Amino acid sequence: MIEVDRYTKLYGDTVAVQSLSFVVRPGDVLGLVGPNGAGKTTTLRALAGILQPTSGNIRICGLDLRTDPVAAKSRLAFIPDEPALFDYLTVTEHLHFVARLYGVPDAAPRIPVLLEELELTAKANALPSELSRGMKQKLAIACGLLHQPSALLLDEPLTGLDPVGIRRMKETIAARAREGTAVILSSHLLHLVEELCTRLLVIRRGEAVALGTIAEIVEGRPELAGRSLEEMFIALTGSDAGQTATA
Amino acid sequence: MSTSFEGTIVTEKIGAPARKPSPMSAMLFLYARTFLNRLKSQIVRVRSPRYVAAVIMGVLYIWWALFRNSRFGGGPLATLASTDQLVPVFAALLLLSAARWWIFGADRSTLAFTPAEVQFLFAAPVSRRALIHAKLLRLQIAIFVNTLIWSVLLRGGGGSLEGWRRGLSLWIVFSVLALHRLGASIVRANAIEHENAGRRRSLLPLLVFGALVGAVVFGLLAQFAQLKAAAEDGIRAVGSAILVALHQPVPSYALWPVRVLLEPVFTKSGAVWITIAPIALLILLLHYLWVVRLDASFEEAALEATQHRAERLQRFRTSQMGKSRSRTGKLARVPKLALTGRPEVAIAWKNIVAAIRGGAWRTQLIAFTLGLATLAIVTSSTSARAGDVFMGVTLGWGAMLLFLGPLWMRFDLRLDLQRLAVIKTMPLSGLQVVTAEIAGVTILHTLTVWSLMIVPIVMVIQDPSLLRESGVTIPLWCSIALAVPLFNALMFAIQNGTALLFPAWVRLGTDARGFETMGQNLLTTGATTLVAAVALVFPVGIGIVTVWLSDVLDSPLGVWSVLAGTLLGCAVLALELWPLLIWLGTVFEKTDLSDVAAGG
Repeated sequence: MIEVDRYTKLYGDTVAVQSLSFVVRPGDVLGLVGPNGAGKTTTLRALAGILQPTSGNIRICGLDLRTDPVAAKSRLAFIPDEPALFDYLTVTEHLHFVARLYGVPDAAPRIPVLLEELELTAKANALPSELSRGMKQKLAIACGLLHQPSALLLDEPLTGLDPVGIRRMKETIAARAREGTAVILSSHLLHLVEELCTRLLVIRRGEAVALGTIAEIVEGRPELAGRSLEEMFIALTGSDAGQTATA
Repeated sequence: MSTSFEGTIVTEKIGAPARKPSPMSAMLFLYARTFLNRLKSQIVRVRSPRYVAAVIMGVLYIWWALFRNSRFGGGPLATLASTDQLVPVFAALLLLSAARWWIFGADRSTLAFTPAEVQFLFAAPVSRRALIHAKLLRLQIAIFVNTLIWSVLLRGGGGSLEGWRRGLSLWIVFSVLALHRLGASIVRANAIEHENAGRRRSLLPLLVFGALVGAVVFGLLAQFAQLKAAAEDGIRAVGSAILVALHQPVPSYALWPVRVLLEPVFTKSGAVWITIAPIALLILLLHYLWVVRLDASFEEAALEATQHRAERLQRFRTSQMGKSRSRTGKLARVPKLALTGRPEVAIAWKNIVAAIRGGAWRTQLIAFTLGLATLAIVTSSTSARAGDVFMGVTLGWGAMLLFLGPLWMRFDLRLDLQRLAVIKTMPLSGLQVVTAEIAGVTILHTLTVWSLMIVPIVMVIQDPSLLRESGVTIPLWCSIALAVPLFNALMFAIQNGTALLFPAWVRLGTDARGFETMGQNLLTTGATTLVAAVALVFPVGIGIVTVWLSDVLDSPLGVWSVLAGTLLGCAVLALELWPLLIWLGTVFEKTDLSDVAAGG
């Protein structure tokens, strides 16, 4: 479970995220959407323990990320949009590294299964420089899934994947959610969000403008009824204001 | 009216005359703005108390090192410039360096472009010649700073030669070296890109350098008898004999191009300088033309589209990244990581793997050991006092590795701060991360320094008289071996601490740099040594007091009191390091991504 309570992040005088609160329960897939610069990546990075919140609390499986970061981090995985891999470790060595880091007890049998699932078996001994962009993304995903995290944070997970990879990735995310993982998925691909997410969190300029299932959001904003997700997104974030003005 | 098809389209579309692309001015703009913006962001950091303190300390240190300290400026270093006796020796060393670039490959960062440069410049209508000019332009910033430092360090020596003349001479030397390294990189890149044709093109320089180095070696071998005789009279006599050997006709001719380059730096009078400086300038010009012409041969050989070429050059860069695979495609073997155990070991292991695969650590280790073994064999056969010569050389190498090693070996936080976002997600405390980062490089560097002791140990086993003659005792050897890991840990802790405290100012990554940053490296090493000296006051003091007390009290330890003193000193150093690591761990936990993003 992921619990966020009044999370705020300031950069100097600039407010990146303002008093954000939400809960993601096991099996839930929360879609984090918002226009560029809304604070999605800042929120995900804070949830991953990369950025310290200016104020507020974040708990992963009941463990406070600020007071007990090591235990909290051992239960989560963050897969960034741009895979950051180690230049000199092969694909398999990356997984060995993660296994040791997270103390994965059954890593030896799980590694080949995961490589197969993500179609990396043929590249098991390749270095990151020898992988395509999509393969790198798959490796980052494999590293994130190896320790079977209770909370999975995905930032634009489909970037660089081919159509088959996209389908596999969607299946992987859905399977993890069915197994009880709390998932947060940030993406601009609204059809992906619509297909995979059980709930939505729409943020604009660091503030939540909508939270809940599509039905719950429509219930709070009846004028959105019958609209597509794209239209809802534009209405909620006011993204069409500029375009209308220009037009 | 535009004559080109593209130009016509542009004219029609925007209704204005097409402007000729001006890549050089665009690149000048890019580098000038990058430099200024980076400087601005670094100055902005001075608002933080930590950075303010560092600026004050840094300014005081530079003032002391460059202007007040007789050991740095105006002292022994300046006397180097007042004698031209050493010119052949420096020339031989530079020749060896250049030969190394050709035989083993030049610094891999020489040709490196940033991903943004590849994306914008390579896809733009910019010729490779313009790209090379851009690299030259960037190199000049480092060369200017280096020239300034060395001009100040060498001031006061060299008779009546004005400062600007020496500065200009130094600038020529550093520029030629940088150009030569760049040229060697391009030719080798050519060899990799064009396989057989490229190899044929790089054959001539290899033959030339092979002949030049061969001529120097021949000169030394021809004077072998004199060198052997001189070895009887100690290191100074050997040095003089080497100078005589290098002045012989064959090595002298071989060294001529390097010598004439160096002579303007060492000459004493302005009148002589005016006659020899133009030759050095001519060498610089020839190097410039050579590097630019290399580009032309590149263009002829590569007919592919700009984008394709960019991709290939990018692939070349990738293949140069540490040469992780052998020619047969095999990866360097590394120690296996157990899947279970303490998690921080994984970070230390990762860094060791990076050093082995990316830093050619094993090659360096083998080269050092073989070099020393060769030296051991030569000195043993030429001198009855080989012990003196050999121990001196070994200790010299050891000291150099201890002090310079942390500058070379950068597979620690200086590498990983670039991936702070990844490291921060790991379920490890700051203390665990910092300790693991420092431990990995400490282990590797300790092995390097220890390996240097293998050769003298083998020598001593063969001829125990060497030990007695050199004055080095077994307890002293044991003490050195014991102190090396702790001392290395201290030096790496200082380097990592500096990177962590001032990520916006410290160069991150593992790229080695060449002669053009020698002055900057000298100052950095000086500063690190000063901090280490302060940290060593108590440990060394305790060690000395232990030995003294043992002597005064006539303890049964005898000569082994040195080892006892070292043990105590190491314990004190470990006690000093522990709170330092805890503090650095806290700093790591508080380090924000934005602190690092502006740095590097």
